[in-house]
Amino acid sequence: MCTLIRAVSCSALALAALAGAQVPRPAVAAGTTNPFNSPADIEQAAPLFSTNCAYCHGSRGEGGRGADLTVGIYNHGGTDADLFNTIRNGIPGAMPVVAITDDQAWKLVAFVRKLGSAGMGEKATGDAAEGRAIFEGKGKCRTCHSIGLEGGTVGPDLTDVGRRRDLKYLTESLVSPEADVPLRYRAVQVVLKNGRTITGIRLNEDDLSIQLRDTSDSLRSFKKENIREIRHDKPALMPAYGSILSKKELADVVAYLNSLRGEQ
Amino acid sequence: MRNGRCRTFVCAALVVAVMVVATATLQGQAMPVTNERLLHADKEPGNWLMYSNTYNSWRFSRLDQINTQNVKNLHVKWLFQGRHNEKFETTPLVVNGIMYLTRPENDIYALDAETGRVLWVYSYRNPERTYNCCGNVNRGLALLGNTLYMNTLDMHVIAVDAKSGRELWKTGIYDYTANDGYAATGAPLVVKDKVIVGMAGGEHPISGFLDAYDAKTGKLAWRFHTIPQPGEANFGTWAGDSWKGGGVSTWNTGSYDPETNTLYWGTSNPWPDYNRDERGTGDNLYSCSVLALDPDTGKLKWYFQFTPNDTHDWDSTQIPVLIDGELRGQQRKLMAWANRNGFFYLLDRTNGQFQFAKPFVRQTWNKGFDDKGRPEVVPGNDPTPEGNDKIQPGVDGGTNWMAHSYSPITKLMYVFARDERRVFTKNAIRHVNDDETAADAAGGRGAGRAPAANNGIFGTGGNLPGMGAAGRRGRGPRFAPEESWGKVIAIDPLTGTVKWEHRVLTPPWGGVTSTAGNLVFGGTLEGVIFALDARTGQRLWYFAGNDRVYASPITYLANGKQYMSLAVGDVIATFGLD
Repeated sequence: MCTLIRAVSCSALALAALAGAQVPRPAVAAGTTNPFNSPADIEQAAPLFSTNCAYCHGSRGEGGRGADLTVGIYNHGGTDADLFNTIRNGIPGAMPVVAITDDQAWKLVAFVRKLGSAGMGEKATGDAAEGRAIFEGKGKCRTCHSIGLEGGTVGPDLTDVGRRRDLKYLTESLVSPEADVPLRYRAVQVVLKNGRTITGIRLNEDDLSIQLRDTSDSLRSFKKENIREIRHDKPALMPAYGSILSKKELADVVAYLNSLRGEQ
Repeated sequence: MRNGRCRTFVCAALVVAVMVVATATLQGQAMPVTNERLLHADKEPGNWLMYSNTYNSWRFSRLDQINTQNVKNLHVKWLFQGRHNEKFETTPLVVNGIMYLTRPENDIYALDAETGRVLWVYSYRNPERTYNCCGNVNRGLALLGNTLYMNTLDMHVIAVDAKSGRELWKTGIYDYTANDGYAATGAPLVVKDKVIVGMAGGEHPISGFLDAYDAKTGKLAWRFHTIPQPGEANFGTWAGDSWKGGGVSTWNTGSYDPETNTLYWGTSNPWPDYNRDERGTGDNLYSCSVLALDPDTGKLKWYFQFTPNDTHDWDSTQIPVLIDGELRGQQRKLMAWANRNGFFYLLDRTNGQFQFAKPFVRQTWNKGFDDKGRPEVVPGNDPTPEGNDKIQPGVDGGTNWMAHSYSPITKLMYVFARDERRVFTKNAIRHVNDDETAADAAGGRGAGRAPAANNGIFGTGGNLPGMGAAGRRGRGPRFAPEESWGKVIAIDPLTGTVKWEHRVLTPPWGGVTSTAGNLVFGGTLEGVIFALDARTGQRLWYFAGNDRVYASPITYLANGKQYMSLAVGDVIATFGLD
């Protein structure tokens, strides 16, 4: 019999007695660089990511239950060694250890880095300065999007979008904004029983209430007992700029967005 | 002074007398909890003596102080703060006004059930790394005599004295590091003089079993291998050596029928979860099945397999609900089972014979059943390397481990179901001793083999901030919230007909409990704790708990008053009337 205090000792003894007991893998030293950085390595990591990571981090690393890996900012360190250790040993209470080899973990490091830097190395053909003028003026983009601390919050922050998103994605987002709307920026229309309709992005919801940021950037909350209907049929608040801007203007805006790399 | 002392003495005596009366008549019997009392746990509605309350796993309470008329006045009486990052999945036990619960990872707390104040704590320290798939969780305790029993993440079963919290014995179940890892997270079940213990690890190439230990000594009494061993019946249902690491764990709790002396226990998926390439096209017995065992010997009486040769992780580890009823003009001993594969089954529990099955969520995989209950599988419903998003129910199933309930008053079975859309992905198989070359060779894009670890084992996010998923609509692994939902459904178990449905925003992870007050209690993934009218499904009361509910409610008496407890996040919330 063990007392409360002795129980810990008993557990430790039993643990030691268990054959082949494993301990967390030793962390690689700070400064260790990734030996698996080739395009082939990244290609091989794709199914590993799909299998081990996508459930929480999203199929393209866009986040979900786990962190958004496309932003290129890592809460547990951003060096190769940091990423390796995080992938290899998990995060206690937050991210599980997955069954992969060391080499596979290094390949995932390369893959994750690429997720967070899709726009790096790409060169836009448009005029970024012209694009900025359109962004600030005719396009009224800052009404909904922020760069740094300036701008609206109904749309995604674009401070470092040029690092995170490739040119194809940026173009598609302008021409067909509904092609990819992150869930936290999906538009909802709340139709109240008194006939009023409020449009915004959903911040939270349960069976009792829903919380929105409306199109004027105000925080709103509605009890469901006062709601007639919640509609999701127009998921993007953003207009399609293909019919607003010329091809040249679109290319310029894409060039400007591509130039937004955040803090380097 | 003397008079004062006398008055004090008289008052104290009166208080004691009142307490004795209260204890004897209102709170139910105290320890020890004998086998006889466990057999008739329904006669002690003030107590909650085992995981599912009674051996038939109805999770029904005869208490009716809280009922459809007054439930609107239900309010929080006390909170027990887990002070732990992990969520509670525990079902507490209550005996004579004392609540016993497990806190992650493997601590046991004894509380005053009227106030939530701690009486004693037993702390168990797991190794730094354990191999549980889905959080450092524990689902509860078993009880016999004066002893509590708990399974641990590092594969031990532990006996603790219920009065003092002292450890009485500890037995190693298995090497928790073997085959990529075993764990034990479910609540044990006491049957006669044995503690029945299941194990987890079906996400890894483990080899499953169900154990019975002597309740007094902790000595292993029997072990039933859930994958037939060489020379045993049904051994040939696995291709090659795949049986050696075929999964088939027993990670939830079972039920017991004393009349036929039969233990019923569900089994998990075969490994690899989403890939049959190595295990072949055989049935992979006894995966995704219910086992009927002799609890004295561990001998198999019969089995029924719900999903042969599964590739969807559709565990059949739900808790068997044992009911008697008239079927086709005859009184029958039956087993009702809402399965993870999306179908509600009714079986004859004396022999496992299939009676019928009906879907209770959207399903795509099954055209129907033959007379023995074997499904006719629709082609195109297997996982693919690029991800198959056309399969329903989803990865976490039409239901999962959450408890169901049956009310003998309404004669309805209550199931908190998951009606959702997800992606099933087939990927590379990784074996325990694979070297890098082998793993890479198997792991190329489209290689068509499945992994050791897998998608879909960490639960869903619900609609809490930061938990909503992004992604290209229709292409990513997640879908818009309105494509999936949860629902409490009331099923007539003798016909499979759904009598009512109460829909909630998100597929749930919590179970339900019904009472003689004609109430069904439960909680959503966003933390909305509710009471429904058991007859209609109308929501009569709610409380915004604002954290995940991954547990099932209990109800009990303390000092003569009825309470309802349910874990929300890392808090045990307890409600009552004035």
